[in-house]
Amino acid sequence: MKTLIFHIGADRYGLRLRDVVRVLPLLELKQLPQAPASVAGLMDFQGRSVPVIDLCRMSGVAPALDQYDTRIVLADYRAPDGESHLLALLAERVLGVQDVSDAALSDSGVQAAPFLGQVASDRHGIVQLVELNQLLPESLRAILFQPSP
Amino acid sequence: MNNLSIKRKLYLGFSAIVAVILLLLALAYQNFTRLSDANEIDKHTMEVLQAIAGLRNDLLQVQVEARGYYLTGSEQRMEQVFKELKDLPPSIKRLQDLTSDNPNQVARLKRLDELTASWAHDIIEIQVKLRRELGDKAGAADTMGHTDQLKQGSPAIKAVYLALDEAEAEENRLAIQRGKASEAQQQRMQSVLIGGGVVCLVLAMAISLLLVRTLLKPLANLTQAVKQIAAGQQSARADVISNDELGHVTQQFNHMAQAIQDSLVKEQEATNLLKSKVDALLIVVSKAASGDLTGRVSISGSDAIGQLGQGLSTMFDNLRTLIENVQKAGIQVTTSATEIAASAKQQEATGIEQAQTSVEVLSTTKEISANTSQLLKTMEDATAVADYTTTATADAQANLNRMDATMQRMVSATDSINAKLAALSEKASNINSVLITITKVADQTNILSLNAAIEAEKAGEAGRGFSVVATEIRRLADQTSVSTWDIEQMLKEMQSAVSASVMGMDKFSEEIRRSVNEVAQVTTQLSGVMDQVQKLAPQFDAVLQGMQSQAVGAEQITSTMMQLNDATQQTVESLKATSEAVHQLQYAASDLQSGVASFAVTV
Repeated sequence: MKTLIFHIGADRYGLRLRDVVRVLPLLELKQLPQAPASVAGLMDFQGRSVPVIDLCRMSGVAPALDQYDTRIVLADYRAPDGESHLLALLAERVLGVQDVSDAALSDSGVQAAPFLGQVASDRHGIVQLVELNQLLPESLRAILFQPSP
Repeated sequence: MNNLSIKRKLYLGFSAIVAVILLLLALAYQNFTRLSDANEIDKHTMEVLQAIAGLRNDLLQVQVEARGYYLTGSEQRMEQVFKELKDLPPSIKRLQDLTSDNPNQVARLKRLDELTASWAHDIIEIQVKLRRELGDKAGAADTMGHTDQLKQGSPAIKAVYLALDEAEAEENRLAIQRGKASEAQQQRMQSVLIGGGVVCLVLAMAISLLLVRTLLKPLANLTQAVKQIAAGQQSARADVISNDELGHVTQQFNHMAQAIQDSLVKEQEATNLLKSKVDALLIVVSKAASGDLTGRVSISGSDAIGQLGQGLSTMFDNLRTLIENVQKAGIQVTTSATEIAASAKQQEATGIEQAQTSVEVLSTTKEISANTSQLLKTMEDATAVADYTTTATADAQANLNRMDATMQRMVSATDSINAKLAALSEKASNINSVLITITKVADQTNILSLNAAIEAEKAGEAGRGFSVVATEIRRLADQTSVSTWDIEQMLKEMQSAVSASVMGMDKFSEEIRRSVNEVAQVTTQLSGVMDQVQKLAPQFDAVLQGMQSQAVGAEQITSTMMQLNDATQQTVESLKATSEAVHQLQYAASDLQSGVASFAVTV
């Protein structure tokens, strides 16, 4: 299974490649006043406005730095009601695509943030999968995806 | 006459003349009054004649009007006749009034009045009555012409005219008589005026002559006396002739002459007194002239001669004191001369000592002269050394100048190196920008490869090969990134090295600049040294010249000392001469003493 490897803080995490729509360089974001701290802002993708979530803030570490390998990962978010939304994730040190074999994956055994899934070990250390479906809590989802009138 | 004053004399003379003139004027006035009376009488006669002529005229008028009435019978003419008749009595009355002083004429006029009245009553009134009776009858005028009265030619009227003629003749006679009387009066008047004038003239001349004589005589007397006094005749006096102002003047003049004579006598006495005083003074002065100053001046007083006497007395006192002083001074001079002689002897001895000292000084001066010559040689050597120093310093300066130029060149070279380093830095910056571009491209490539991998994954089995290519591209991009990072690091090192070089070069050029400044300072100092050294040479020359002149001076001192020696000898000689002179002075002083002793000063 192919994953996009990136960092949250000092640790490596992986996002399933099938959830990823496009990787984009860091852009200037439109700020959203009075939005929750984990919402970094709003971006424009081919004429559509897409909310941007800072994964570092979401995880409770220091916000993502403006480095050359900090990227915006455009993902296809499927809500529990089955509706599909474009969601942009701000990720630090995006290293690239890595093949993680399903056999290597195992549960972490520790209940931390709801969106952290299975872990796999390789020669660089442990990679934990990020479950995109679990990423947004109910309240945040309600804020981000207002039903269109 | 002589007792009257001049004023009164003048008043009397002029009063007499004025009185004669007044008398003459009174006579003339009386004659003029008489002439005027005669004229009045003439005028009266003329008036009488005129009145007679008027009466005659009235009568003729009555006759004319009556005849007119006779001819015409006009009532108007008749009235005119009566009117004219009425005029006759007043005319006669007037004539009577005028001639009332003449009895002949009064009688004649009375008769005339009667004649006229009868003429008017008997002839004119009757005829008029007749004519009125005739009226306007034809031939009335003719009838009237044949009346008796008219025919008889009217003797009445003839008598009237005759009386009138007589009266006229009487008046004419009177007029001639009175004219003669008037002429006689005029003649008398003329003679009175001529005679009176002559009398006045003679009287005035006589009075003037008298006055002049009384005034001039005393004056002539006075003049005579003044002339005599002026000629030296002091006792001459003027006679007092009159008692008037001139008499007073003469008296005063006599008093004055007397006063002058008295004062002359007093003056003579004063002169005699003065002469005696002067003689007394002369005696004392003569004594003093012969050397005897013991005489005393006994004259005193506040006048000039008294003051002169006092002055002379004071002068003699002073002179006595002076001579006493001179006698004392003579003694003192003698004593001093003796002292001077002694001191001259001493000086002589000193002069000889001085001559010996001069000889010693002379030998010392010769030694100085020799030393100076040696010093001169040494100075010449020093001058040569100074010259050498000058040339050496000049060489050093030239070398320093060359060094300065080299330094300048180094400065310019450093500047160009700096410029080149700056260019290098700029180039490095350019490379940096290129590197940034490369990095960006690599980044883009990285993203592109990521997306390619994602797309390949989504394509599934079909994208397998593409996935490999994407992975390869990503690896290349990563390598590019790494290389770029390496280049970047190298470039940074190079830039820091260039910066260090620039700083080092700056420091180096600063050092060079400082060195240049120091060299310049050294050069300036060397120039100063050279200047000083160059100045030294002339100073040495000056010292040399000074030395030479010193040598000359020493020689001159030698000669001067020799001259001084001679002079000392001469001084000794002259001191001897002085000694001689002082001896003579001693003799002279004793002569003076004996001379002054001849004056007797103790009283």
